[in-house]
Amino acid sequence: MRVVGGVTLVALAAGLVMAFGVAPREMTQGNVQRIMYLHVPSVWVAYLAFAVVLVASIVYLARGLEGADRLAHASAEVGVLFTGLTIATGSIWGKPTWGIWWTWDARLTSVSILFVMYLGYLLLRGMIEDPDQGARYAAVVGIVAAFNIPLVHFSVYWWRTLHQPPSLMKPGPGTMPGVIVAALMVNFVAFSLLYVYFVAKRVRLLRRESEAAA
Amino acid sequence: MPDNWGFVLAAYGLAAVVLVAYWRRLVRRERALPGQSSRSTARRP
Repeated sequence: MRVVGGVTLVALAAGLVMAFGVAPREMTQGNVQRIMYLHVPSVWVAYLAFAVVLVASIVYLARGLEGADRLAHASAEVGVLFTGLTIATGSIWGKPTWGIWWTWDARLTSVSILFVMYLGYLLLRGMIEDPDQGARYAAVVGIVAAFNIPLVHFSVYWWRTLHQPPSLMKPGPGTMPGVIVAALMVNFVAFSLLYVYFVAKRVRLLRRESEAAA
Repeated sequence: MPDNWGFVLAAYGLAAVVLVAYWRRLVRRERALPGQSSRSTARRP
């Protein structure tokens, strides 16, 4: 675990160097565009986390493995954390570029619904006393809530929104300069490692808590 | 367009505070588990 933590710290430091030292100042937005190196990897981790919740929930319902339930629980918690960060950093980025902190457009609304759904998932787990029943109900919510992920991602195509369409996670050739893509990629790796570190730590904590309660 | 460094600082600062707070919460909860504090004390020279 310490090795993963150390590698994650180095990767995060490299991500900061890429975002502030290597990536150039964007021509139209200026330096405020550097928030992208935090905002986009955050939403990537949220997508990843909720996809893991979906798979782990299906495995739990099919096989009844406690490990799958713990993985879903841990991943949902980390996903909610990064969705919250995505919303907050997007709002901070929106004020200087759009002139507003918030608007109820399709992308912002759908990502808020995603956040509330997984927050509900976590609250549901805490509300039901029987752990097996709570795990089953949570697995169903974890599967149903995942249908919102494509809605969030494609909302910028399906509705007219203030939010720009994806620059990276889209089909076809990229339009961004290579150095910006490289800076983003380093941060994608760093945030993915952070996700792995947090989830591994949370899964271990859940297992120890369950052993202590038994 | 002005650079708006204050917004950049706010975004990265907020992220740092939130992520460190979550990590600290996990560490605190792990240490609070029965047997964890005594084990860590035993390792000290």
